[in-house]
Amino acid sequence: MVKSDTPPVIELHDLKKRFGIGDAEHYALDGMDLTIKRGEFIAIMGPSGCGKTTLLNILGLLDRSTDGEYLLDGQEISTLGPRRQARIRSEQIGFIFQSFNLISRLNVIENVALPLTYKGITRTKRLELASDMLKNFHLGEREYYMPYQLSGGQTQRVAIARALVNEPSIILADEPTGNLDSRASHIIMEELSDLHKRGNTIIMVTHNPRLTSYASRVITMLDGHVDTDTMILPELVELAPKRPLGPVAKKPKSKKRTAKKKTTTKKVIK
Amino acid sequence: MRILLMNHIQNAQQSLKSNRMRSNLTMLGVTIGVASVTTILALSAGASKVVSDQVDALGGNIAVIRPGASQNDPIASLTQTKTGGDFAASTLTETDLGIVQSINHVSAVAPLMLLSGTVKADQTAPAGTSIVASTPDLATISNLKVSTGQFLDDTVSPDTAVIGPQLSINIFGTEESIGKSVTVRGKTFTVIGVLKRMNDPINYNQVDFDNSVVIGLASGKEINQGVAQIQQIDIRSNSVSDLSQTIIDTNKALLQSHNNERDFSVLSGDQISRPTSQLFYAIAGVSAAVAGISLLVGGIGIMNIMLVSVAERTREIGIRKALGATNADIAAQFIIESLAIGIGGGISGYVIGYLLAFAISTFLTFDPVVNWQIAGVALFISLVIGTFSGLYPAFRAARKDPIDSLREYS
Repeated sequence: MVKSDTPPVIELHDLKKRFGIGDAEHYALDGMDLTIKRGEFIAIMGPSGCGKTTLLNILGLLDRSTDGEYLLDGQEISTLGPRRQARIRSEQIGFIFQSFNLISRLNVIENVALPLTYKGITRTKRLELASDMLKNFHLGEREYYMPYQLSGGQTQRVAIARALVNEPSIILADEPTGNLDSRASHIIMEELSDLHKRGNTIIMVTHNPRLTSYASRVITMLDGHVDTDTMILPELVELAPKRPLGPVAKKPKSKKRTAKKKTTTKKVIK
Repeated sequence: MRILLMNHIQNAQQSLKSNRMRSNLTMLGVTIGVASVTTILALSAGASKVVSDQVDALGGNIAVIRPGASQNDPIASLTQTKTGGDFAASTLTETDLGIVQSINHVSAVAPLMLLSGTVKADQTAPAGTSIVASTPDLATISNLKVSTGQFLDDTVSPDTAVIGPQLSINIFGTEESIGKSVTVRGKTFTVIGVLKRMNDPINYNQVDFDNSVVIGLASGKEINQGVAQIQQIDIRSNSVSDLSQTIIDTNKALLQSHNNERDFSVLSGDQISRPTSQLFYAIAGVSAAVAGISLLVGGIGIMNIMLVSVAERTREIGIRKALGATNADIAAQFIIESLAIGIGGGISGYVIGYLLAFAISTFLTFDPVVNWQIAGVALFISLVIGTFSGLYPAFRAARKDPIDSLREYS
């Protein structure tokens, strides 16, 4: 799925994000280097406060970095105006949130159709597209439900449908299963993994090590920079040539593990 | 550039609908303001239309001579008609009356000598009763009709009077008062006619004939120390086409007899009603300004609710931005919402204002006027209020940071 010659969709060079000034100065991202290729399913892990969410916000153009380069499809983001950035959010990026973030006074189909509003698509066409999308997620019969009438898993599926309705190339998920029980979590993860198989780039932040088995690449962060990355292996450890993990790993990969924690969790899942 | 207007309108519609009670109450503020402005404008336009309609109804061949030079400055004419008229002696005299009568094409001339004083019979007439001394021509020029008896003419005794129906009721307790005696400034007159009710207190003679006593000019002089104090001379020309020539001739003749001093003015058509209309427009302007305050309050109400709505929907704004809305999209959504409230209030205010105006006019002697200017004013006001009170909240909404907004609990 991930070919080595695929051009990178996201490139970060020495990305920094500072919060506060003077004594209160604090770098949420402190020299982040990352290259993400089209079609990767990345799970980002790490302790609280390591900058995962900040990274995701910057990747999703909701926030601006203080320093460093962010190239999206080869284009430097910091040179773009807010209107252009909104356009990119609308056309290339789909967000999935931990707290679903459906608009509570709109029903399911209107929520799913919402991103299309900002592409200038007419109402009838919007609802048509949204309806098709909901059917993909087996929610065709819930179109006119209100968000509060759905279970957590259904709500998150609606949110995923909304993220996908614009056919974005990148999907950013901030702890998509954080508010769900393990059964619903796995359903959601199956959906995401399905999307991945269809060629979408997915970047997911999670706290749950079990879910990393769905990912093709796992990145752990620490204090605002990449701590470990299953693609880039530390030079000190002599290992087999770089090889990404498959979306669902078929065989144990303990030999290639650098982060022992992860290897063990993988084994548990297998 | 994508055309998103329809989409914004649909967005606004959805959010107004989801808060129906609040939207309607906010709209009510604008409704009340626009309704009061509409009512005031419709009624005042109706009032000033009464006078010009009368002039038109008389056939367009009526001119009026008034003392004092005509005022082109509307403010000055408002302030000066009062003071000049009350304290200065009128510059029109009996001689002028004679001169005007002898001008070509003049078919009828009626002087109007307004006196103040007590009118008494069984009961004393209330203040505000007019005493008018004039000639028989007044009936034809001003279209006065008697319901019983007859109007003054050259054959009747100078000690006779014609009274208005309301005055008749005020002093005799009945409209049937022919042959009864009425005392005007100490002199006794016999009533020979009662006028038909005109219900027309605002007219170009500035006399409410329903509540007045009309006596001959000679009698008027007699009770006024022998001086004819003429406030106005009404002229009627033979035909409409002769009127302009008549006015020119009148001007010429009077100017000559007044030693080239232009201390009178000959008015026709709209000029006659202008002082009255201007007075009404001034009153209307002041009351509209007061009503404008309620509009301001309505506008502040919209702004207030929009700010609450922006605060309440912070998270929604964050979501929309994450899904690709630009700052302009967010601003447009909120401005359209407040515009919708403004226009909705404007339209309902316009309708309610007219209902109110027609309801009030049943107690008045004139009808409200329906014209496009008032509709335009109502619509314009509501547009302006809707836009201006929506601007700041929309600006606030557009500037919200998406991350902070998404973090907001709601």
